[in-house]
Amino acid sequence: MRSDPAEYDLVAPANLQAAVSLLASEPGRWLPIAGGTDLMVQFAAGTLRARKLISIARLPELRRTEVFAEEIEIGAGCTYTDVRKHDIVDSEFPMLARAASWTGGIANQNRGTLGGNIVNASPAGDSLPALLAYDADLILVSVRGERRVPYASFHTGYKKTKLAADELIRAVRLPRRFGGYFSHARKVGTRNAQAVSKVCIAALARMEDGTVQDARIAFGSIAPMPVRLAETERLLNRKRLDPSLVLLASKTAAAEVQPIDDIRSTARYRAAVAGNLVAEFLERLGETQRAPSEVLARWNGLPADEAENEILACCGSRVWARGMAARRPFLDEAAVLAASDETWRNLGESDWMEAFRSHPRIGESRAAQILSARSAAWSAQEQSNAAAADDAIKIALAEANRKYVRQFGRIFIVCAAGKTGSEILQILRRRLQNDDGAELREAAEQQRQITQIRLRKWLQG
Amino acid sequence: MTKTGATPCDVSLIVNGEPRTVRAYPMERLLDVLRQQLGLTGTKEGCGEGECGACSVIMDGALVDSCLVPVLQAQGSNVVTIEGLGKDVRACALQETFLECGGAQCGICTPGMTLAAVHLLNEKPEPTMDDIRDGLAGNLCRCTGYVQIFEAVAAAARRGVAR
Repeated sequence: MRSDPAEYDLVAPANLQAAVSLLASEPGRWLPIAGGTDLMVQFAAGTLRARKLISIARLPELRRTEVFAEEIEIGAGCTYTDVRKHDIVDSEFPMLARAASWTGGIANQNRGTLGGNIVNASPAGDSLPALLAYDADLILVSVRGERRVPYASFHTGYKKTKLAADELIRAVRLPRRFGGYFSHARKVGTRNAQAVSKVCIAALARMEDGTVQDARIAFGSIAPMPVRLAETERLLNRKRLDPSLVLLASKTAAAEVQPIDDIRSTARYRAAVAGNLVAEFLERLGETQRAPSEVLARWNGLPADEAENEILACCGSRVWARGMAARRPFLDEAAVLAASDETWRNLGESDWMEAFRSHPRIGESRAAQILSARSAAWSAQEQSNAAAADDAIKIALAEANRKYVRQFGRIFIVCAAGKTGSEILQILRRRLQNDDGAELREAAEQQRQITQIRLRKWLQG
Repeated sequence: MTKTGATPCDVSLIVNGEPRTVRAYPMERLLDVLRQQLGLTGTKEGCGEGECGACSVIMDGALVDSCLVPVLQAQGSNVVTIEGLGKDVRACALQETFLECGGAQCGICTPGMTLAAVHLLNEKPEPTMDDIRDGLAGNLCRCTGYVQIFEAVAAAARRGVAR
């Protein structure tokens, strides 16, 4: 049953000093509330035991982030949105940014805080495995002063922490020493959005002469609190990364976790998934070790504008090309292909349109916007089957193309490689039935495929 | 510091551009104050626990679930509800495209969906489909199956670009 608000006291101190003084005045009687994404749910269910609450949502001292040479400090009152949008977190602690992006929906991310996630101490807390892997420290504050506690020792049991009754978490500190590490974070839940995790991994390691160094493998939802897999890490460190090591580490991890059966999943499923996630992490770590192709090695070293111009032949969007050049160096073809898909998906419609304009209309040889001889030559290759079609099909294609342009205001984009003229004609006629939105998405997907094929051709010289 | 006790307190805030002062218990939900005291019943209650987004409002520029906001935390803030979007260009485009695409059926999720979509388009005027899915992930709809809603938001974004 819902709680009666008349039975609850809530005050909003103006600053941190006032908040900790109030906490100290009756230790254990006052409960801090920040974004309310956990406590207001308990309030709604009638299970919120504390009757006196202190709002810390607006304390400016908790909302700051500071960047130092050796570490960054994130205020405990920073929301998931703050964390997700922070440049340094995004580039140096990407697993934390990802965890923030998969916590609830946007409204929850705008209210829920990093400090709240930590003190709520759920074994399924999304940001917690990343904090463990990145070796975070917590700054705790009370009227007695501040103390710094390694996050790894903060949780002492299921929903139990070292936080004293008169203390608040003021900030989280992350050491800036993982720049050269490979990271892998993944949440396995019932669905992508708004799900509590069944198993969640955040793992880091670096490679040296083909061997694994400093493996840091953290998990959520597989023990009473977020944990690192010490045995699996020990097994991996300083070993040559090969398939037998991957298999052994996967089995060790599945045996090392201590999951339970609950409403969201079973212990058996969780252990199996944990083993698979470790294998996935190590396989991807291994992929970073393959030698880059000659083309890629040369391109990695070009000045940004030259790199941008060269890759523009693979996809005619300037923003895409600039984004790809900015993400160098790439270790291998797989990394380039993955980055391309991600960059493409995040472009705006006008960038998609720019890429579309760089192709000649099927059945013609000149693009609206000629970018390079290489792009034109690839177009000719891709459309060679269509060009060999008989005259009747060519005429029908030209007619359907004109209709398409009238209807959608741009040229028809299809990944023509390997498709005959009549196949393309069929596809074109079907797509004329699409509405604007569906057709734009279909064209963008076709352009994505064209780009992938061109990137491979380019990298293979 | 404002000590309030479990007695009602005065909370002043701006709602849809107008300064308002309400007398409420500090732990009363912003949702209830909007609906019961201010008569703004366009904001709906769905789950009451931050899962469904039916009670979405924009508070100081951020999309929030009003069922999770104790009203004291809204002191001094600027709140926009569905009623406040009447003249918003993006909301008008969304209203048209929701109709055209079949994005609204029973209507319970529609105010929250609209606010989430306005918030998304304010931040990203040219969203990709992934952006739209991400931006509306906190809003549940039990009628449409979502595809029509995503298309309506994409269509409104295109209209915004055209303008």
